[in-house]
Amino acid sequence: MDTTARREHWLRAIAAAADPAALAAIDTRLFGPKGEVPEFVRSVTALPKDERPAFGKAANAVKVEVEQALAARREQFAAAALAQELAGSAFDPTEPGPRAARGTLHPITIVQNELVDLFTSMGFRWEDGPEVESEYFNFDALNIPGDHPARESQDTFWCKAQPGLGRNLLRTHTSPVQVRTMQRLTRQGFHAPLKVVVPGRCFRSETVDKTHEHTFYQMEGLVVDRDVSTANLIHTMKTCLRVILERDVQVRLRPGFFPFVEPGFELDVNCPFCSGRGCSVCKQSGWIEILPCGMVHPNVLRQGGIDPEAYTGFAFGMGLQRVVMLRYGIDDIRQFMGGDLRFLRQFPEVAR
Amino acid sequence: MKLSLRWLSRHVDLTGLEPKQILADLTMSTAEIEGLERFGDGLECLVVGHVRQCERHPDADKLSVCQVDLGAAGGVVQIVCGAANVAAGQRTVVIRPGDTLPAQGGKGALKIKASKIRGVESNGMICSEAELGLAEAAPGILVLPADAPIGARFVDVLHVQDWVFEIDNKSINHRPDLWGHYGFARELAAIYGRELKPPVVPVPFPVEGRSVAVEIRDRDACPRYCGLVIDGVVAGPSPHELRWQLAAVGQRAINLPVDLTNYVMLDLGQPMHAFDARHVGTGPIRVRRARDGESITTLDGHKRKLTAQDLLICSGDKPEALAGIMGGEGTMVEAATTTLFLESANFHAATIRRTSMRLGLRTDASARFEKAQDPANAELAVHLFVDLLRRYCPSAKPLGPLVDPAGFRYEPKRIVLRRARLHQKLGLALEDPRVLGILESLEFGVTVTAAGFEVAVPSFRATKDIAIEDDLVEEVGRMFRYDNIPEVPLRGVIEPPVRNEELFLQRRLLEVACTDLGCSEVYNYSFVPDAVVDACGAAAHAYVLVENPTAPEQSRIRRHVLPSLLASAVPNLRQHAEVRLCERGKGYHPEMADEHQLPHEVHELAFVWTRRDGAHPFGELREAIAALLARLGYPAELQRVWHGKDQPWVHPHRAVAIDRDGSPVGFVAHLHPAIARTMALPATTAIACLDVRALLANGRKIARYQPVPTFPPLPVDVALLVDEAVSVAQVAEFLRTVGKKLVRDVQLFEVYRGERLPAGKKSLNFTVTLGADDRTLTDQDEGKYLGKVREQAASIGGELRG
Repeated sequence: MDTTARREHWLRAIAAAADPAALAAIDTRLFGPKGEVPEFVRSVTALPKDERPAFGKAANAVKVEVEQALAARREQFAAAALAQELAGSAFDPTEPGPRAARGTLHPITIVQNELVDLFTSMGFRWEDGPEVESEYFNFDALNIPGDHPARESQDTFWCKAQPGLGRNLLRTHTSPVQVRTMQRLTRQGFHAPLKVVVPGRCFRSETVDKTHEHTFYQMEGLVVDRDVSTANLIHTMKTCLRVILERDVQVRLRPGFFPFVEPGFELDVNCPFCSGRGCSVCKQSGWIEILPCGMVHPNVLRQGGIDPEAYTGFAFGMGLQRVVMLRYGIDDIRQFMGGDLRFLRQFPEVAR
Repeated sequence: MKLSLRWLSRHVDLTGLEPKQILADLTMSTAEIEGLERFGDGLECLVVGHVRQCERHPDADKLSVCQVDLGAAGGVVQIVCGAANVAAGQRTVVIRPGDTLPAQGGKGALKIKASKIRGVESNGMICSEAELGLAEAAPGILVLPADAPIGARFVDVLHVQDWVFEIDNKSINHRPDLWGHYGFARELAAIYGRELKPPVVPVPFPVEGRSVAVEIRDRDACPRYCGLVIDGVVAGPSPHELRWQLAAVGQRAINLPVDLTNYVMLDLGQPMHAFDARHVGTGPIRVRRARDGESITTLDGHKRKLTAQDLLICSGDKPEALAGIMGGEGTMVEAATTTLFLESANFHAATIRRTSMRLGLRTDASARFEKAQDPANAELAVHLFVDLLRRYCPSAKPLGPLVDPAGFRYEPKRIVLRRARLHQKLGLALEDPRVLGILESLEFGVTVTAAGFEVAVPSFRATKDIAIEDDLVEEVGRMFRYDNIPEVPLRGVIEPPVRNEELFLQRRLLEVACTDLGCSEVYNYSFVPDAVVDACGAAAHAYVLVENPTAPEQSRIRRHVLPSLLASAVPNLRQHAEVRLCERGKGYHPEMADEHQLPHEVHELAFVWTRRDGAHPFGELREAIAALLARLGYPAELQRVWHGKDQPWVHPHRAVAIDRDGSPVGFVAHLHPAIARTMALPATTAIACLDVRALLANGRKIARYQPVPTFPPLPVDVALLVDEAVSVAQVAEFLRTVGKKLVRDVQLFEVYRGERLPAGKKSLNFTVTLGADDRTLTDQDEGKYLGKVREQAASIGGELRG
């Protein structure tokens, strides 16, 4: 056969290959050991010298062409196979796989952690204190002596007398940790500044309903340094609320009375439910009371072993439930202590 | 407490100010105003009608048919009226058909229609004070003064409508001066820069005449007692304006003298008591402590047992009133009273408070006295009372001098307010004139000095409220308004805060437990219900007990977290096939006390894993806890069998301790089957508890780098037949020891129990990974290892299979 005939013969064979296996067989036949194509190219040696260059050139061109045809055909098969693989068996991407772990942190924990992150980033230390507390730390040390009316307004759960134990109670606020922390840090002399946050569980004897709980969460904050002012308090509180409520809050600071601060304030935020127009949540006032705070009373600093002439400070006690309710739109405070997974699983985040 | 705008306006001119504005300004400078309502709202539709004729209804004895002239408001109309006191010639208040009477108390709004009453046409209604919401009850229709213009709107003829502010009492607990209108008027005068009128016009009292001597036996408990005898009193109903003024602020009208004592109290904050003078007799009035066991029946009819802490007002030795709280039964002024003995005293706040608390008897008077009232007011109140009484009852007159044995001389308390301290605490350099203006508007006496201000505190702020320099900072700040202080960030050194490792560890444990292990964090009350304690078999343990629990069966404070966590698994398991709960919490052990005599506190992280399908999550929980601790850098061994000391919910034979360097930090266990039954939980429930403080005690372990093996590992499968009593941990330890340095890892992949094995035996199938640092191991090494295992298996009573 001449060059043209062979070329056509081979190309036809390649085109006729029905599947990758047939193509592989043709590949072996043409290019394998004793393959037809190299044999053909080698047949140049049998030709007269003057014909060799022309034949050699033509034969090589055929070889290249056949190789390309093989490769192209292989590509075709591969493409068809891939197309088939992709079209493949039926697949439903909406079919669920095995469940990822469905654990959740309590929503108060989530918010508390975010607040702790925020305050620690501003140099506050994170501390804790006992829930069964002494009368001294809960009241006396906080400038609330025995006859002070503020004692009843706190609806204290008192503990029964027990041998070896003092006059104890379930703490009515996280504020006792103010003096505890100050005393601990001043034992070897005080080094300003003191910045601390204390989130935790508190108790007041109330009848539980949609808006009242006898077990609640507060986050106490205390800053003591030279030259701490009301202006610093306002800035710190605004920053905190902006971060935690994730909006540009409006706040107002008005007088509030707490024996352990002087002056004392109530800090309100504009109601997110009605944007300040007035609704049932904010009792038509447009404001929600969120943060009692104030400048630490000199008597409290003294109890902590700090000279109120040299240092001033501010303190706040944020109601965590209130913040969590505002953030997630929860309208029933009982859910927090209810232990119902149908509630708890609605908040799958961790602290930002 | 309620405040009337009309009342406030008597003391300070408030024209041009919207009630809403006043509310906002008081809230921002003085005290929280919780609400604002319109007293007499909806009465605008009522008109003055002149009863021209009044005849008996032809068909009903108790009804009258009246021809009422409404003038321009409707001409003469016929109205059937049921009131006994209706009569021709009266000016009355009429509501016309189509108009609506506003809702009152329990009653809804009433729309008036023209109708026939027993066959007689009636076009409207003649109203009583009760129907108008101006009194709780009324004997008949309201009769207006004879000069009331016919057809005019009722609300234009008489001062009835008012704005009423509701104060949050808690926000004025520290301000005795704010327990009456005058104190708030003073605040408003300061806020708006308007003039405050004097509280009273002094009334001259006779120098001689009838009086009752007063003996104060305890000056600490009763710093001042003023008494006055007044004759010529007509104790009838008070006039409209007084009754309605009291009604607007929620005070029920009784009779003129009593209403006036209430008025004075609501005006000045000074409680008074008007005795019928016959009761007091010739006295003397004696203010003394009660004797232990003595008793008094108060005017609410309750007999009260007293102690030596309580203070009594006596006539001679006979108790007539519980001082500062409530009068004695029968001492009250009645219709027949003509002569009064008026008491206006000042009592020691804590004394009143203690008695009031102990007896559970809180009155308007005790609420005020326990805030520490100004003794100056005791005298002012008498003047105000007499002035008002004579206005409404011209026949009344004091019979003798005001008896005031203690008197009151006030030397103003002086406080230095340093300018630097003021500026520093507010964070703002307020100019002197501003400071001066504010303090003077609040009636402080002020002298400006080089260092700041020398401030004289008026008596009405000196009893309790203003005691130190910082209190004055508050006065200036609140009147300047805190909102006007520009915010300033904190400044200082930049240093990382000291870390409380326990809190951070607890937080990370929870985060990993919830995110990696699929636990849901639950909060339970610190009170553990008796039913749960009983079900958990823990009733014999010592608990911190609450004296005043919300329910008697919830007086215990929990020792451990697990019982309440188990209880919260129960309802959840009804909703979900699988429940994984965790809770961090504190437990209290009263049998141990700390240096502050507080009960010993434990910090726990507890787990309850349970499933409805009967599968046992114990193994999974154990692995999960091991992984959790490793994740946080606190790797622990969970191998040692533990028997659940002091924790009855732990299965005594199915628990492992969580050990760190040999000391226990918690446990993982099967729930005790008996507890599972009483709690109605599956017997396959798994529980765990970590003591966070103990976990922290042995410190964090930072991972040590091991070179990555250069030579390939050689996995060898080993099946050992052992007695059921032999633990996986024992066998694994054996396999490790036998291979010495070559053993890199021992992993159980199967426990086989079956018919093909002898009874009481199990086959533990391990993959032991061998490896060496200096060569590739061969079949020979495997053979040698298995040989040793075969030889030494007897040491654990085992036998190499296959």
